[in-house]
Amino acid sequence: MNDKEIARVAAAIELAIWRIQMLRYTHCLQQLSVFVSRLNGVANSSKRLGIALSHHWLAAAEHCCTGIAKRLNEFPALMSAIRSLLERRRKRPPSFSAIIEELKAAETEFGDLTFDREEQALCVVTEPIVLEDVYLGPFHILLILERLGRPHYGNPCRLVAVDPNPAAGDETVTHPHVSNETLCEGDGTVAIRAALEEGRICDFFCIVRSILTTYNDQSAHVSLSDWDGVPCHECGYVMDGESSYYCDSCGDAVCDQCSVVCTNCGEIVCSGCSSMCEVCGASLCTTCAKGKCIACESICCESCLDNGLCPTCREERECEDEEENQSHEKNETTEKHESETAATGPELAARQTHPPGTCSAVQSHGMGEAPALPGQG
Amino acid sequence: MRVLFINNNGAGWADYVDVPSLQPVHQFFEEHMPDQTPEDYLIRVNRQPVPPTYVLQENDRVTITPVKIHGGIG
Repeated sequence: MNDKEIARVAAAIELAIWRIQMLRYTHCLQQLSVFVSRLNGVANSSKRLGIALSHHWLAAAEHCCTGIAKRLNEFPALMSAIRSLLERRRKRPPSFSAIIEELKAAETEFGDLTFDREEQALCVVTEPIVLEDVYLGPFHILLILERLGRPHYGNPCRLVAVDPNPAAGDETVTHPHVSNETLCEGDGTVAIRAALEEGRICDFFCIVRSILTTYNDQSAHVSLSDWDGVPCHECGYVMDGESSYYCDSCGDAVCDQCSVVCTNCGEIVCSGCSSMCEVCGASLCTTCAKGKCIACESICCESCLDNGLCPTCREERECEDEEENQSHEKNETTEKHESETAATGPELAARQTHPPGTCSAVQSHGMGEAPALPGQG
Repeated sequence: MRVLFINNNGAGWADYVDVPSLQPVHQFFEEHMPDQTPEDYLIRVNRQPVPPTYVLQENDRVTITPVKIHGGIG
């Protein structure tokens, strides 16, 4: 950056630090308001205690004392927060020339300092970062001036990987402590805040760089031991090359837990491509799961299909066949019987087929014209 | 004499401290950062790198920043 640009950026930083100071005073006022309201609460309880005692109401007095004790318990934390804010308030904002010196120091420290007008951000680039033999590449450290002193605008620091080597399991994690271009400051949180409040821009960049060059295995978005490898398509578990499987159907990588072996052909498939025989519960690959019962269309393995039918449908079919046979036999018997009847004459047939009293020739009173028998004219 | 000491270790703080005259910066480090090794820190005087034998001057600005700071996950 040339001197003119440095001066312009320094003015923007000065304004941002002014906002930070304003924000601190606002916080201070908020905390003091809470403190005063608690104090008023104690004062009111104290008055009530006096009234209770004047009336010899011991139960009411006890109730007041309990309330006061409860309120007093909140005082230490509240006072500590206010004291911290008041002490921070004492720090003088940096002068314009001090900010310019900070910018020049950052330029010397990192080799180059640029200002991104679009983002209104100061930017330095780190050396390529390698942690535990895992190459993570250089990072752009961006300090977005518009966000300074405006917590609702988001994190003022953005970290953009120049030559990204994201974690295999999560592309948004470009560093064990960077996710979605946001640094999780960890132990550096307070030091970063202090540096920004005091306009120590070079210190801010140095602290962020120190975090980037350190690996905290206890608190990483993705552990470096799981950085490389193949993520399981089903559960996201990162596997090394030797313990990963690939679905024979769709080609996705799956871990040991998520892979399914087809009991019919032995192919390895992911759970998305696997089916289950609806009869015996055996796992099947896409190809073997094409076997379906021709009647109910349920997926069946080869061993469960008999003439294209699942056991249930086969049983049903057998029952139906049996019933059909029985009905056929019955029909045959009836037909046979009818033919015999026809042979012995219509009279016998009429006797057999018409119960007494239903014959048209026989009246209900038992009289009537007798039907003419064959041969009687 | 008095120098401004900015310690970015832990919570980070900045304050003026009294130092004996003709004190080299390595001695200052040993005094103010007991049980620590200089290799673990970035030491700057008036925002510039200096040799360990650099003798501190009145109103110098000494910045000590750890080179290793543990990050977190949010």
